[in-house]
Order: sequence, then C-alpha cells, then structure tokens
Amino acid sequence: MKRFINSSVFALLIILLAACGTSASSEGGEVFEYGAQKNTDPKIMGQILKLLVEDQTDHEVNITEDMPASPQVMGGIDRGDFDFATLYSGEVYNNHFDEDQVEYSTDPEATLEQAQELFGERYDMKWYDSIGFINQYSIAVKEDFAADNNITTMTDLGEYANNMILGTDNSWIERDNDGYEGYQEAYGYSFEEARGMDVALMYEGIANDELDVVTAYTVDPQIIEYDLKILEDDQKFFPPYEASLVARNEVIDEYPEVADILDSLVGSISTEEMTQMMHEVDINKRDAAEVAKEFATEKGWIE
Amino acid sequence: MEFITDYVMFWQDEYQSIMTYTSEHLLISFVVIVLSILVTVPLAVYMTKMKNDKIKSLIFNIANIFQTIPTIALLAIMIPLLGIGFAPAVTALFLYALLPLLRNTYTGIKSIDPSIVEAAKGMGFTTMGRLFKIELPAALPYVMSGIRVTTVYIISWTTLAALIGAGGLGDLILAGIGYNDQYMIFTGTLLAIVIALLLDLAFGKLEKKYTNA
Repeated sequence: MKRFINSSVFALLIILLAACGTSASSEGGEVFEYGAQKNTDPKIMGQILKLLVEDQTDHEVNITEDMPASPQVMGGIDRGDFDFATLYSGEVYNNHFDEDQVEYSTDPEATLEQAQELFGERYDMKWYDSIGFINQYSIAVKEDFAADNNITTMTDLGEYANNMILGTDNSWIERDNDGYEGYQEAYGYSFEEARGMDVALMYEGIANDELDVVTAYTVDPQIIEYDLKILEDDQKFFPPYEASLVARNEVIDEYPEVADILDSLVGSISTEEMTQMMHEVDINKRDAAEVAKEFATEKGWIE
Repeated sequence: MEFITDYVMFWQDEYQSIMTYTSEHLLISFVVIVLSILVTVPLAVYMTKMKNDKIKSLIFNIANIFQTIPTIALLAIMIPLLGIGFAPAVTALFLYALLPLLRNTYTGIKSIDPSIVEAAKGMGFTTMGRLFKIELPAALPYVMSGIRVTTVYIISWTTLAALIGAGGLGDLILAGIGYNDQYMIFTGTLLAIVIALLLDLAFGKLEKKYTNA
C-alpha cells in the first residue's frame, strides 16, 4: 500500500511538473511572451506581432500589458519572462550604462547603433532596426497660441516661457542629459513653473487650459485630438527614441520562422500610422487587438 | 561598499530636490490628515447618536463609493473642477481617507460597554456631559487607533499626488521608475516609510498621554 501511495504521489508530481513547463499552443507550437509598457504603442505592436505569429506559424504569443516602464520590461527579458518587447533607441542613455560605455548623442544612427550593441549584449537579445515610428520627447503648445504668436521652434517659445506653466511626466525634471536642466541650458530659458504628472492627465491639463505647454511624445494621438503643435527642436536637444522590436537570441535562433516575422516588421510602420492607430485605441476607446487586425489586413500582412 | 559611496554621492547631488519632495509630501499629508479628522470624528460621534439607520448607512455608502473610484479616474475628474496641483490632490486624498477614519471612529465609540453609559445616565449626566466626560474618553483608544491607521494610509497614498502635479515623494519614485534610477525609487520609498513610522509613533505618544490623564 505504502508503495502504491509513493508511486502515485510521484506520478502526480511528474504531471504537475509537466504542466508547469513551457506550455504548448493549441496547434502544438510554443507560447511566446511579449511584455508591453504602460503606453499604447508597445501594446499595439504586441497585437500586430501576435497576429502575424499566430497567422503564419503554429506558435502563440501571450501579451502582458502595463509594465510600469521599459526598465521593468528589460528586467522581464533578463529573467526570461518575456521573449519579445518594443523598446526605444534613446533609452540607451537612461542610466543603464556607465558614461565610459555610452556616448551621448542626438544623432539617430549613433543612438540606435549603441542601443543595439549595448542592450543586445547585456540581455542576450537582438535589437532590430527601427520599426519606423519615433516616440520621443518634444515640446508642444496649443496650436492657436502658436499661430497667434508666430511660434514654430522651441527657441521662439523663449520669449513667452517665463509666463507659462509646463506639464511633464514624472521623470523629465530629473533627467540628466535630455531633462529640464539640460533644456534650460540648451535653450537659455526656463518656464514659470514645471510640474511632473501622469501623462494622460498632462494632456487633460493642457486641454483644460490648466497648463500652457507640455512635453508631448511625438507619437501621442492627443496631439491631434487637442490641437497641439509640436515645436521644432532647432537646437537638436532631444535624443531620438526610435521604436524597435527586440527578441531574445535564444528564441530567434531556435525559431527562424519567428525571426522572419520580426525581420519583416523593420521599417513597416510610420509615426503617422502609429499615431492613427493610437487615436483609435486611446481616444475612440477601441480594442487594441481589433485596431491592429484592421491595420495588418489593410497592409496585406494577413488575409 | 561602492554602493554606499554611490548612494552618499546621490544624496549630495539630489539633497535639495529630495528635501523639496519631502516637504511637499509632508504638507499634503498633513493638510489631508487634519481636514479628515476635523470632518470625520465629529461626524462619527454624531452618527453614533443617530436614530435613523437609513441615513447612517447612506453616509457609509457614500464614503464607500469614494473609496472604490479608481485613483486615476478621480484625479481626471478633478482637473476641470480644481485644476492641477495641490488642491485636487488634497481633495482626492481627503475623499479616500473618509471611509477608514469614519468606520474606525464609529466602531470605536459604539464598542463602549453600554453598562458604563447606563451608569452615567443613572448618575444624572446630560447627553453632552456623558459624551465628553464618559464616552469620548472611553472611546479615545479606538478613535486614536483609527486615526493612526488612516494616517499611515494617507502617507502612502500621498505618493499618488505626483500623478496630478502636486509633487511629493511619489514624484521621486515615479521619476526613478521612468528614468531607471534605483536610488530615486529607494529614497522615495524609504522616506515615505520613515515619515509614516514617525507620525505613528507621535500619535502613539499622544494617545498614551491622554489615556493616562
């Protein structure tokens, strides 16, 4: 009897262990994990990747949304929790590497190259060339304010800045190279007040005239929705944040069919197209999966 | 060891802004705590005297509803009404603090042994006299524990003020998350904990002093 119990416990354990291992897709392939940050563009990219992978291979992609920010997504990749993600080239300057490893530059190519090399090595992953859209910091004001005062560049704004309240995200004020301090040095002016807040509320704030100027991200649909104007960065102050897909080397080495799909997405989506999709999701409150499907069908990527 | 020298360097660099965040945090929490005590404790006392159970449960339900509104939604509603910064942050936190304080105070006063109240009645105390001489002193430990619990909540919730441009230690934590700076996250968290513990200690001392008197 004792023997029977022992062996059945053993058998149960084996079954449990098997269930805990890599779960298989319904078609017998792998289930890959995609990690998305809080913002909408990585979520849409996840849906597009999921669609293509599930359409063209036996594998499935599971998306985990609303990681606080990119560093937490990278942590997930490092632990093997995530296989894919969407990251931005300019992140290479965000405290990940020592100053002697990384050289600060606002040149898009130099930035992307450094991101590919440094992050690629650290997390044993492939950082693809840019998807095509750019999600970087910029300074935006209300369109009518810009038109009335003939403002087109960030330099032009200097004349009015000391009477303006700036709304920004919670980290811009503290950033070293591309933050508020650097901005004041590069452009030689400061705003009356600078307040960090949630990005969604920041746009609410400028729409309600509580704020006069915001640090908008170039891909955000609120720029169109609330008639904001992005000012030209004439001092080339802000570093580029070109979006790229990343994938763990282990995965793309073992599954070339997945690597092909990731390759095919390089240079495939422009900033305008991403903004349009984000507009559907963020403003028209549609489902990201549905919007991604529409886009992929339009592009002829899926049937 | 390098970690320690790095962290000391961080404090030297950021000392001034850390102090600004801390003072913003203290100011917001303090105003919220004082406001919510001033409103809730008398209300809870009044409610224990209330005969109408319907109104009582209505008040609890309203306080309950505020508690269930997602923070970010509540803050978004605040912008057209109160703008951005200190005022909407204090208002939102005040609404969140209502329920725990109200419930703790109410239950505290309710839990006094009815025979004590009866005895006081028999000795000829008026309603007001009973309240101030017998019921409130007997309920003080419960009321204080309600205040202490809520205070600790408020200190931690005040980190949310950073979402609506009111600053505070949440700003430091969120900046650290966005900018990949562990020292900022650590410092913001640590200071919030220290503030909560110190206030709890202070309230504890206060409570002892009054219950002994």
